[in-house]
Amino acid sequence: MTDEITRLMHLLEFSDSAFPIGTFSFSNGLESAAFEGIVYDADTLEQYTRTVLQQTIYCDGIAALQAFRAAEHDDYERIQNADHQVILCKMNAEARLMLTRMGKKMAEICMQISDSPLINRWLQDIRQEKVPGTYPIAQAIWFQQNGSTEKELYAAIEYGAINMLLNAALRCVKVSHYETQAILYRLCSATASNYEMLREMGFDDMQTFAPEMDILASLHEKGKMRMFMN
Amino acid sequence: MNDFTNCRELKPYQVPTKAMRLGAPGKYGMLDLVFELDSNHKSIMRHWERRAPLIVQQELYFDEGMPEMPCVYILSAGGPNVDGDRYQNRFTVKKDAYAFISTGAATKIAEMVYNFSGLKQTFILEENAYLEYIPEATIPCRNSRYITDTDITIHPAATLFYSEIYTGGRKYYNDGELFVYDLLSVCTQAHRPDGKPLFREKMVASPKQKTVRATGIMHHYDVFANVIVLTPPDDAVRIYALTQAFINRDCDLAAGISYLPNESGLIFKVLGMETQPVKKIIRQFGSIVRMQIKGKPLPEEFIWK
Repeated sequence: MTDEITRLMHLLEFSDSAFPIGTFSFSNGLESAAFEGIVYDADTLEQYTRTVLQQTIYCDGIAALQAFRAAEHDDYERIQNADHQVILCKMNAEARLMLTRMGKKMAEICMQISDSPLINRWLQDIRQEKVPGTYPIAQAIWFQQNGSTEKELYAAIEYGAINMLLNAALRCVKVSHYETQAILYRLCSATASNYEMLREMGFDDMQTFAPEMDILASLHEKGKMRMFMN
Repeated sequence: MNDFTNCRELKPYQVPTKAMRLGAPGKYGMLDLVFELDSNHKSIMRHWERRAPLIVQQELYFDEGMPEMPCVYILSAGGPNVDGDRYQNRFTVKKDAYAFISTGAATKIAEMVYNFSGLKQTFILEENAYLEYIPEATIPCRNSRYITDTDITIHPAATLFYSEIYTGGRKYYNDGELFVYDLLSVCTQAHRPDGKPLFREKMVASPKQKTVRATGIMHHYDVFANVIVLTPPDDAVRIYALTQAFINRDCDLAAGISYLPNESGLIFKVLGMETQPVKKIIRQFGSIVRMQIKGKPLPEEFIWK
């Protein structure tokens, strides 16, 4: 078992927005939401971030917890299934692109800093297009292989989703650093209760319901605005 | 297909009905419709099995844009869905056949005290089959619980246009009801005949527990439509190119389109304040799809619809 301080240090490293997997390139539809005047201040940004977070935890969060437990039992087939389930549930192309780019990048970085056979096998399968290679599954495998706990993985997933959006907001919404930090603090306060709610859930419980967000993602996908990638 | 009793979101609503028991005659409606080409290559409804309260009549050929298309309206003799009602539909479109299915009126999910109402649907589309499924809106009333589970098996060369409209409730009843239902759970999944999964979309709204009025969800809109178009990739690319994504503040309408996973087709979402303008957008989109697949547009909607 990895000691607590080392685990915390790893959690900080792999949750840091500076961790080079390209999170800064995506906005989860926020760019279109800002352009359309739907997200225009701290209050609307907080609402939008909560919506993004709900979609993330009910899809990526559930799949990641399943993949983490599969990695604990060396059940590679279940890891593959979790990876496919993430893709099956993502109804817009932009979200799938984001998750597979970040997942592959994370697996590549992990191979540079460790020689985990499981990560290596998964990366090979991504390259051979046997698995999609999504980000939450990359996180799940790495955290498990690295001696971290399921709760730490879950915290990293929530923190990553919130932080990605708030960092993007600083570039396209009229909000200050003070306001985004306050939003982050408030949303993170609910992480423990979210985890308790989700920990018993399985693939059948994976769900999304954010039609306005989906429409904004489509506007971005079809539009020409490109501060962020799609 | 899911067993509803295992659905987590339904756990608070498993109390049996106190009046007519679950599964009693009239509380379990069923349809099994099969379309195929006859010996003259005319698409017909070859088989129809129905159990009250669901009714279908002989297919009609009233579509002026595509007069060779068999059209079927599903009716429910029981009125709205009440506590404990279950429905099961199975629609099969055989090789090269085509059909249009709709409902005669909106599906009202009545106020509930016990249990829930559920619908299970199975769609099977064989090679080069074409089906337009465009039912009227579903209206979930106060305290109602409604769950649907739709399973689609589709050949790579077939096309399914599958639309659903959900209103926020009885907007003009008394002082107005919007999002005061207990639960709306809608799950749609598709796979190829060999079992390869294509996508799975599950939408769960329980507005009393978690607001749906947040930015990014329903926001200020009252009506939501979801359209799934399963079609070959080349056709999907052309339909995508011809379809606009927009937010129109003058008429309070918004629509967006994206590609489904596994190159299985497209998903089109619409938000609006009233059902009629949303239906109109869906039919315009349906016309693009029909033109791409069959080379013919959708006709104007009947003025009484």
